[in-house]
Amino acid sequence: MTAGQSAGAVQVAPAAEESLVVCTSVSRTFGRGPLAVPAVRDVSVTVSPGMLVALTGPSGSGKSTLLHLMAGLETPSSGSVTWPGLGGSPTGRAGVVGLVFQGPSLVPALDVLENVTLPLLLAGVDGADAVRRAGAALERLNVHGLAAKLPEEISGGQAQRVAVARVLASRPQLILADEPTGQLDHETGAHVIEVLLQTAVELNAALVVTTHDPVVAERFPDQWRMADGRLVDGDRTC
Amino acid sequence: MLTRLWLAGLWRRRGGRLAAAVAGIAVAVALLASLGGFLAASKATMTTRAVQNVAVDWQALVQPGADPASALAAVRADPGTRAAVPVGYATTAGMTATSGGTTQTIGEGVALGIPANYRALFPGQLRTLTGAGTGVLLAQQTAANLHVGPGDRVRISRAGLGPVSLTVDGVVDLPQANSLFQTVGAPAGAQPTAPPDNVVLLPEAQWHTIFDPLGAVRPDLIHTQIHAVRSHALPADPAAAYTEVTGAAHHLEAQSSGAIVIGDNLGASLGAAREDAAYAQVLFLFLGLPGAVLAGLLTGAISASGAVRRRREQALLRLRGANSGQLVRLAAAEAASVGLIGAAAGLGVAALVGRLAFGSFGFGSTTTGSLLWSAGAAVAGLVIAALAVLVPAYRDLRTSTVTTARREVGRQRSPVWARYGLDLLLLAAGGLTVWATSRNGYQLVLAPEGVATISVSYWAFAGPALLWAGTGLLTWRLADLALGRGRRVVARSMTPLTGRRLAAPAAAMMGRRRAPLARSLVLLALAVGFAVSTATFNATYGAQAVADAQLTNGADVTVTEPPGGSVGAAAAAPIAQVPGVRRVEPLQHRFAYIGADLQDLYGVRPATITDTTALQDTYFKGGTARELMAKLAAQPDSILVSAETVKDYQLLPGALLRLRLPVPGSSALRTVPFHYIGIVSEFPTAPKDSFFVANASYIAAQTGNDAVGAFLVDTGGHDSAAVAARIRHVVGTSATVTDLQHTRSAVGSSLTAVDLAGLTRVELAFALVLAAAAGGLVLALGLAERRRTFAITTALGATSRQLRGLVTAEISVVTLGGLLAGAGMAWLISEILVSVLTGVFDPPPSFLTVPWGYVLGTLLATLAALALAAWNTVRLARRPPTSVLREL
Repeated sequence: MTAGQSAGAVQVAPAAEESLVVCTSVSRTFGRGPLAVPAVRDVSVTVSPGMLVALTGPSGSGKSTLLHLMAGLETPSSGSVTWPGLGGSPTGRAGVVGLVFQGPSLVPALDVLENVTLPLLLAGVDGADAVRRAGAALERLNVHGLAAKLPEEISGGQAQRVAVARVLASRPQLILADEPTGQLDHETGAHVIEVLLQTAVELNAALVVTTHDPVVAERFPDQWRMADGRLVDGDRTC
Repeated sequence: MLTRLWLAGLWRRRGGRLAAAVAGIAVAVALLASLGGFLAASKATMTTRAVQNVAVDWQALVQPGADPASALAAVRADPGTRAAVPVGYATTAGMTATSGGTTQTIGEGVALGIPANYRALFPGQLRTLTGAGTGVLLAQQTAANLHVGPGDRVRISRAGLGPVSLTVDGVVDLPQANSLFQTVGAPAGAQPTAPPDNVVLLPEAQWHTIFDPLGAVRPDLIHTQIHAVRSHALPADPAAAYTEVTGAAHHLEAQSSGAIVIGDNLGASLGAAREDAAYAQVLFLFLGLPGAVLAGLLTGAISASGAVRRRREQALLRLRGANSGQLVRLAAAEAASVGLIGAAAGLGVAALVGRLAFGSFGFGSTTTGSLLWSAGAAVAGLVIAALAVLVPAYRDLRTSTVTTARREVGRQRSPVWARYGLDLLLLAAGGLTVWATSRNGYQLVLAPEGVATISVSYWAFAGPALLWAGTGLLTWRLADLALGRGRRVVARSMTPLTGRRLAAPAAAMMGRRRAPLARSLVLLALAVGFAVSTATFNATYGAQAVADAQLTNGADVTVTEPPGGSVGAAAAAPIAQVPGVRRVEPLQHRFAYIGADLQDLYGVRPATITDTTALQDTYFKGGTARELMAKLAAQPDSILVSAETVKDYQLLPGALLRLRLPVPGSSALRTVPFHYIGIVSEFPTAPKDSFFVANASYIAAQTGNDAVGAFLVDTGGHDSAAVAARIRHVVGTSATVTDLQHTRSAVGSSLTAVDLAGLTRVELAFALVLAAAAGGLVLALGLAERRRTFAITTALGATSRQLRGLVTAEISVVTLGGLLAGAGMAWLISEILVSVLTGVFDPPPSFLTVPWGYVLGTLLATLAALALAAWNTVRLARRPPTSVLREL
């Protein structure tokens, strides 16, 4: 369980056989020429099963981009991202990686229950089983009463809990959550983090959560800090 | 400053959507400007074309007792008269000629006395066929009847006086014999059915020498007409030209105190042209306006597909303190920019279309006409922009809150119009209006006899317009029902595309987005319906123009024997040998008395007549063409008669008719019994009024005479003019040879002459673009608006195949529903167009002519546009752009 900087002070840890994600000297730059904005610079990290990481750093430090790179949603400008423990890129493989976004990420034209069942159906789970698992996940997040509501009919906090339930229902090996408590009050936020941590432990899944909240970060055994696109050697606990 | 910033941002960030709206407006403007320019150009040339076809502008009949010299002076003194000459008309008692050892005698005829400069003044009146162009000239038919040519002697009988002998100098054709021998002053219905067969033209002095003595003893057999050339500097609009010309004629008649009555050939031709101008206007409204409305709807749909985003942006601005006035100004600026650019682009496209289709940027119209139509079309474009962009933004501002503005889907409710059944009301009202219009025989253009003004029954437009709108809304209702309540059925039917597991969520997504999907489906249906119905109408019109020419000419080529001839069916053999001839069908032409009424009688070979000429079911009543021909074959004494004859003689099917047929070579009549089996209203070569059609073998057997009146020649529709020329070479001057190509240009109205094909080309090209745009563009924009949804689905792990399934399912529903509804609409609108515009058809069609090539092309273009939209959506969804991911 290692994180570090290759070109900086932090050394690169060798990729373990069971590592879920291995980022090697990864950089991601948006735009070209004088307008180019480097979001992630030369980052090397490895995420293994059971790893619980809080990724902190100021706004614009590259946390979300790093999460997208780990999820296979972004292609690195240089370096490489591999998923040895996931059997290859999770792109196009529902249920392998669970993503919680910081903004509204429910499909507007599906109700809450349908939103939670969607990744299960994409993964090939049978309809009835998918509904049962989705119902259980919603119950666990205390939002089962919203099952028939459309996303636009529930609050931002409720939507975020539904998004978390969607991840729990699909039982992924890697959970990537981008500011999952940003829109929640402290109590609800704490509950969501608790559920995420419990689920990760139960599934022996890795959990990487980006957050600004030091209280949330404190609950994670591993804490990585980013600044100016780099992973810095501050609160490094790995 | 705010407006400039906002517009710059819009064009930078929403350039594609705004460009699509610009394209929609450009299509509407281009369509209106093109068709308007075409209409203006058509009207401008109609007067010229109408005037060109008139050989003698005025034929002023000098009334008995009036002085011809004074009448001539009066006509010449009229300011609009360019030249006028007197023409003598004398009725001859008969003509005789001896040639080849036989003597031919023909009956009563007409001798014209024409001045020396007549040919120069009226070049369209005479055409020299053989011999000299001056001196004693015989009409072609007369020369054929007398078996004479230049150099032969002809004896002309005069009532009560001795005959005179003359040497023939030439044989001429009289192309406008109908007007030349009209009964001046008689109404259209009282004109002779055919011009005289026996006509001789003499130099003026010679005519006076021969016929002045006749005038002394029988003044009733002599009269003088003043033939006048009028100034052709007339208004471009045929209606205005008609008013001017007929007004001048009436004025001169009034001034002459009854000394002359004017046969106003110029006015008659302009009268027909003004009807055609009115019909051109009608066609513009029926064929052009729906296209412009459709382009407007398309622009509205393009704008509406970005409504969610617009509402969000509006809400954001309101949160930042923007007031209503500022928001309206921003929306107005957006509408103005889209409208102005769209209008300019549309006018550019129209100019290009004019250049490509008609060879001139203004479609051959005058500068004023082009400018007026361009300005009108540009204003229409701005109105569409205001309706599509400004009005929805203003409405949202009035009715939506910041919270509701964030909604993308919302609980779907039936639209207000659906709850009140507006679609059904429109359909009922449209049906009633069409029924009411049909009661006056769809007389859209009313030009009452003797009334200078012409009127167009615009009520007739209400029926198709209401049905069009009603069908569109009904399609919307059905789509809404299918996607809402029929969600399970939709899910099941989509399983092959989405897979079993994803069918339900796909159907759920469509059900909750059924309003925009129904809108896309209806637009596609309207566009396909418009394209196919327009093409069908045009194809049917084209087919009927050919049918009309064929009806008049008889077949591709027709060889007409002189009346009273004795050429039998065997004469078909040499014609059949002519290269290019496929079949030759002999057609008997006799006359028969029913009571005191003399009518044409056509003897046909029922088994083979349809091999050479087309008989449409609409020509007959009492059975189809095939059934009635079969009856004629099975019962040789059966006969088809006109509806007027059935009414006049109270005939019932099977009734016995005893017709009296002239016996050749004598004045005796032979009574032949027939049995009435059905009604015939049109028949190849037959006149417009009453006639009979019977079995040729039966007539030949009963009269002992198998003489053929005409040979109908089938050339397979190819190059009839060239084949006619070759046949003319074979038959010589003994028979008249006419071909379909020349007949078509002769019988075609000025509406046909102004090249309706040009309108068709423009119309169909726009229809194709609209159909493809309605399918592809609207759907693509709708899908683009949901990039976020597809990005989420991709982030959740959807495979390319699953994404493709979701997108394809949605597109399939819109495509299938739109095409099916479009086909239904096309059929309905085509039927109604052909019924309501029956006035432009002669004869009315018995079935629609569907241009399958164009239909297939439209289908392929639409499917290609839809496939492109689907491919692009899936491509973008597989790799969500960073901007979209950052919003998650």
